[in-house]
Amino acid sequence: MSSAPIVVSNLKKYYQVHDKEPGFSGSLKSFVNRKYRQVKAVDDISFEIDAGEIVGFLGPNGAGKTTTLKMLSGLLHPTSGTARVLGFVPQTRRAEYLRQMTLVMGQKQQLTWDLPAIETFLVNQAIYEIPDDQYAKMLDELTELLDLAPLLKKQVRKLSLGERMKCELAAALLHQPQVLFLDEPTIGLDVTMQTKIRQFVGEYNRRYNATVILTSHYMADVTALCKRVIVVDHGKLMYDGSLAELSARIAPHKLVRVELSAPMNGHNLSAYGEVLKAKGQSVEFLVPRSKTSETASRILSELPVADVTIEDPPIEDVIARVFEQAALARQDRSENDEDESGDA
Amino acid sequence: MDARHSTIQRVWRVDKMIKHFKLLGIFWRFSILAELEYRVNFLTNAFMSIFWLVWGIAGASIFFAQRDEIGGWTYYQVLIVLGLFSMFTGIMEAFFRPNITSMIEAVRNGTFDFVLVKPVNSQFYASFHSLTMWRLVDILAGAGLIGYALYKLQVVPTVQQYFAFFALVLIALVIVYCFWLAMMTMSFWFVKVDNLAELFYSFYEAARFPVSVYGTWLRAILTFVIPIAFITTVPATALIGSLEPIEMLFGLAIALVLLFGTNRLWNFAIRSYASASS
Repeated sequence: MSSAPIVVSNLKKYYQVHDKEPGFSGSLKSFVNRKYRQVKAVDDISFEIDAGEIVGFLGPNGAGKTTTLKMLSGLLHPTSGTARVLGFVPQTRRAEYLRQMTLVMGQKQQLTWDLPAIETFLVNQAIYEIPDDQYAKMLDELTELLDLAPLLKKQVRKLSLGERMKCELAAALLHQPQVLFLDEPTIGLDVTMQTKIRQFVGEYNRRYNATVILTSHYMADVTALCKRVIVVDHGKLMYDGSLAELSARIAPHKLVRVELSAPMNGHNLSAYGEVLKAKGQSVEFLVPRSKTSETASRILSELPVADVTIEDPPIEDVIARVFEQAALARQDRSENDEDESGDA
Repeated sequence: MDARHSTIQRVWRVDKMIKHFKLLGIFWRFSILAELEYRVNFLTNAFMSIFWLVWGIAGASIFFAQRDEIGGWTYYQVLIVLGLFSMFTGIMEAFFRPNITSMIEAVRNGTFDFVLVKPVNSQFYASFHSLTMWRLVDILAGAGLIGYALYKLQVVPTVQQYFAFFALVLIALVIVYCFWLAMMTMSFWFVKVDNLAELFYSFYEAARFPVSVYGTWLRAILTFVIPIAFITTVPATALIGSLEPIEMLFGLAIALVLLFGTNRLWNFAIRSYASASS
C-alpha cells in the first residue's frame, strides 16, 4: 500500500434526489409520489497526495469538490471506493485521525458570534486536549503569522469578514494538524486579505510540512500556492498534474505583449501570431508555444520594440477551456446513449 | 477478555470521564460568558420563572378550595409535584432547550460539520455544549417549593426515602434527556423540529399534577407511552412515602431502554447525515 498521506481510489458518491414540479400541485404530487433521480456528485475519482504537497482542487460549482473534501474529512460516507488519510478510513471518524486533520470552510464559521475568538480557541484546546504549554506556543505563533493580537479579544460579530477568516484559520490550526482541507478559505475577501491568507497557508505548509488540499474560485490562490492541480467536473476527474503542464496542454499558446517605441507604420502584425489586441503602441499576440522564442526574436529585430513580455495566458482562461471541452465531451456521450439517465 | 485488559479499559474510561467533565465545565463557562453579553435577560427570566410558579400554585389552590384531595393527593402533596414540575422545566430550559435550538441551527446551515470533524463524542457535544443559566432560577424555585410543602406536611423523609427520591430524579433526568435527544436526532432528517419540542411540552404540561388525577387511559399513556409519570409523580411519592418499589425498577428499566435506544438512533442518524449545501 502506498505511504502517501492521502490515497483515494475509485471514490464515488451518488445521491438520491427528488425533483419537484413548480407550484402547489407539483408539491402535492411530489409529496404523494416522489420520483427519485440519481446524482453522481463524485464519480470514480482516484488520486494520491504526498506529504507536504499543496494541491489545488478546481472545478465549477457542483463539480464534486466539496463532496470529495467532505468524504476525506469523514463527514460523508462514500457510495463506493475507498479513501485513506494518514492511514485512516475517514468516515470511521477515529479520534486519532480527527486530531491530525482540520477542515476550514470559507462559507461556514465555527467561531461563536457573541464571544471573542479566544474563547472558542479555549474550547478547542479542551476538545483537542492540547497541553497548556503547546497551546500557548501555537497561539503565539499563529498570532504572529496572522497579526491576531488586536483581534483575539474582540467579539466575533464585530470583526470584519477578513479578520474573522484569520481567526477561523487559527481556531482550525491550534492543534497543529498534518492534513488541511481548505474549502474556499478566501471567498469574499478583498485582494490584500486574500494575499495574506494565501501567504499564511504557504508558511504553515512549510513550517509543518503539512499536506493541503485547497479549493478556490480565485486562480491567484491556486497559482501562488499549488504546483499541482486536480480538476474535476461533474464528479469526474479531468486532470491531475502540474499547473504549468495543464496550461501547456490546454492552451498551447503563449501571450506575447509588446510595447512599441514608435507607432506602427503599416507593419503586418498578424505575420507574428494571432493579434489579440492592438491599441496605440501596445500589441498582444497569441503565439504557439513551440514558436515562442523564434517569434520573439523576429519581433525584436523587425519591430521598434521598447519592451517585450512573454507569459502564459491567464489561468482562468485555461481552466474555463478545460470545462468547455469537458462539456462538449459530455454532450457527445449523452447523445450516444440517450436513455441512460431515467428516474431510478 | 482477561482481567488485565478490562482494568486498562476501566482506567481509560475514568480518563474519558474526567475529560468530559472538564469539557462540560468549559462549555458551560463559555455559555455563561455568552449570556452575560445580554444582561437584561437575567431579570426578565427570573421574573418569568417566579411568575409561572405562582401561577401554578394559584391553579392548584383553586382546585383545593373546593375539595380536600384530588386523585388521593392532598394540597401540599400536589405542591411537591408542582415543585418537581418547576424543577424539570428549569432543567429542560437550562440544559436541553438551548442545545436543541443550536442543533437545529447548526444542521440547517451546515456548521454541524465542525462538530463531526472534531475528536469529541458528537452526542455529548450536541447534548451539553450550551446552557441557559437564567433558567436555573426555576430549579431553585421548584426546590424551594418542595421544601415548603414538606415543612407544611410536617414530613421528615428518612435517609432511604431521600435516597429513593434522588435515584428517581436521576431516572427522570435520563428519561427527559432521552426525549430531547430523540427530538434533536429528528433534526437530521426534518431539520425544523421546533414544533416537536412544543408538542413535547404540551404532553409535559400533564406532569403539573399527579397522574392519578387523570382517567385510566390517559394515566396508562402517561406512564407507559410517554412516561411523564416518572418525571414528577413517582419521585414525589418517594418523599411522601407511598412509593411502590416496583415503580422504581420499572422507571429504571424505561430509562435504560430509552438511553440505549436513543443512542442507537443518534448513531444511525449521524451515519445518514448529509450536511446542507454541498
